Amino acid sequence: MNSRRWIWLVWALVLSCYVVPYGLLGQVQAWYGSFLFWFVVGVLVIVANIMITQGFKDESGS
Amino acid sequence: MSTNLIWGAVLIYLVVAVVVAYLSRGEATNGKGVDMSGYFLGNRQMNGFVSALSYSATTYSAFMMVGLAGLTYAGGVGAFGFEIVYFAGVSLVAIFGPRFWAVGKRFGFVTPSEMLGHRYGNGKVAVATAVASCVFLIPYAAVQLAGVGYLLAGMSGGAISFTTGVIVSTLLAILFSYIAGIRSVMWTDSLQALFMIVASTLVALLVVHSLGGFSELFDTLASEHPASLSVPGPGLFSFTTFLGLTIPWFFFSLSNPQVSQRLFMPSSLKSMRQMLIGFLIFGFIYTVVSVLWGFSALVAFPELAKSDLATPTLLASEHVPPVLGVIVMVGILAAAVSTIDSIMLTLSSMLSRDVYANVVADASEAKQLKVGKWVLPIIAILAFLFAELQLNLIAVLSVAASTGLVVIVPAIIGAFYWQRGTAAGALASIIGGGLVVIYLYLSGVKPLGLPAGIWALPVAVVLFVAVSLVTRANRERANEFMETARRR
Repeated sequence: MNSRRWIWLVWALVLSCYVVPYGLLGQVQAWYGSFLFWFVVGVLVIVANIMITQGFKDESGS
Repeated sequence: MSTNLIWGAVLIYLVVAVVVAYLSRGEATNGKGVDMSGYFLGNRQMNGFVSALSYSATTYSAFMMVGLAGLTYAGGVGAFGFEIVYFAGVSLVAIFGPRFWAVGKRFGFVTPSEMLGHRYGNGKVAVATAVASCVFLIPYAAVQLAGVGYLLAGMSGGAISFTTGVIVSTLLAILFSYIAGIRSVMWTDSLQALFMIVASTLVALLVVHSLGGFSELFDTLASEHPASLSVPGPGLFSFTTFLGLTIPWFFFSLSNPQVSQRLFMPSSLKSMRQMLIGFLIFGFIYTVVSVLWGFSALVAFPELAKSDLATPTLLASEHVPPVLGVIVMVGILAAAVSTIDSIMLTLSSMLSRDVYANVVADASEAKQLKVGKWVLPIIAILAFLFAELQLNLIAVLSVAASTGLVVIVPAIIGAFYWQRGTAAGALASIIGGGLVVIYLYLSGVKPLGLPAGIWALPVAVVLFVAVSLVTRANRERANEFMETARRR
């Protein structure tokens, strides 16, 4: 069941997708600005989903 | 690029895909006792690998390599952020997927709208959901058809007309969904997905290389188009526009029946996990490739008249060898067709299962299936007519479709998490919310200066909650449903 907590990472990442690029990175006009930020978010979303679905077994589920 | 080369590639693609579609025929979809669940869900026996590829091909369409690349070209890196928020939204599958799967298996649901009708104990909810899905998804399918039209016209320098491209893709979609229902859709999808990702990634790397590599590409962007590397950037992605685009797309995996129906199909939760993770890896690569594509076009051809031409222009340019260019073109054609055939199949299952079976008294499974197969080409023709309108900036149009569908989301979340939700609440949110969205798009009105994409969800939530609170809930049905979803 604990694996479900990882969904909170997803919610936090989604929120950061608005706050960080529009707030902190608005003036950074280079690849290491918003591009890199959203790239890293994408990778972390995959990691979070791997963790959330750890308990998905053959028949019964978590 | 020569017209012969383009037609030759399309022909090879057609032959290979039709062979795969024929090979996919099975007892469940083409046998003697084929029923609705067999034809439209593959008897809930789909494996994880095929499901992952098919989910990817269905979700990602001409929108990515044409629309998203165009959006990046016009609006810069904000397009990437928009797609990443959508991408994060697919995590909803990890939460809702097992629930859909469990109730689908227990109650035998074929469509998500049927599920809502059952949960709220009222067939009208199923009818309203099915009709709303048609109203918004047929334009969305049309967007894909238009994508192919732009692509073929752009790459052949006008030798192949927009209309010819649209007709070709409509016919292919009808063929792939007809041969073996969901099985031919999923198997051709898988083939197309592999083709899409390999070809587009290879060619994107090649283009970036020919423009001097990643550092050169980003250095040029930073010096010549600095605004494209931040938001709001060149102006397209103001914060409110970004919100208006991302909110509906965040809920895409729940609101769009052609993907939420997929949650009924995996043979086990393990297969569902493979479907989700496989899709995410595919989606991330494809997103980055499409964005790099748009950036490359901006560096190579900064003066295009229409941003939707970014991809075809790049593919037809000296940066891409003609044979590779035409391979990617077929990949994009495949991406569009694999989305349209899934939409057509899902909509026809909804119209027969939820509208026809709720209106006609004695609608047996066999009759539903027959109606479903008749409806398929009718939907295709409607989408074709819509595509012929040739509206500009196809990405924005397809977002209008997502905005409309997001009004179904409160009823879906409520079905699993809010016992007090009622049929009247669900109807009010879907019909009322849907009408509000249509009004906002038609009139162009922006209350408080905010676009329809921002208004749709809160309006639907308020209607769902308020009307539910003043009407009587079917507690027994709600308990049974929610209990099944939790147990899984």
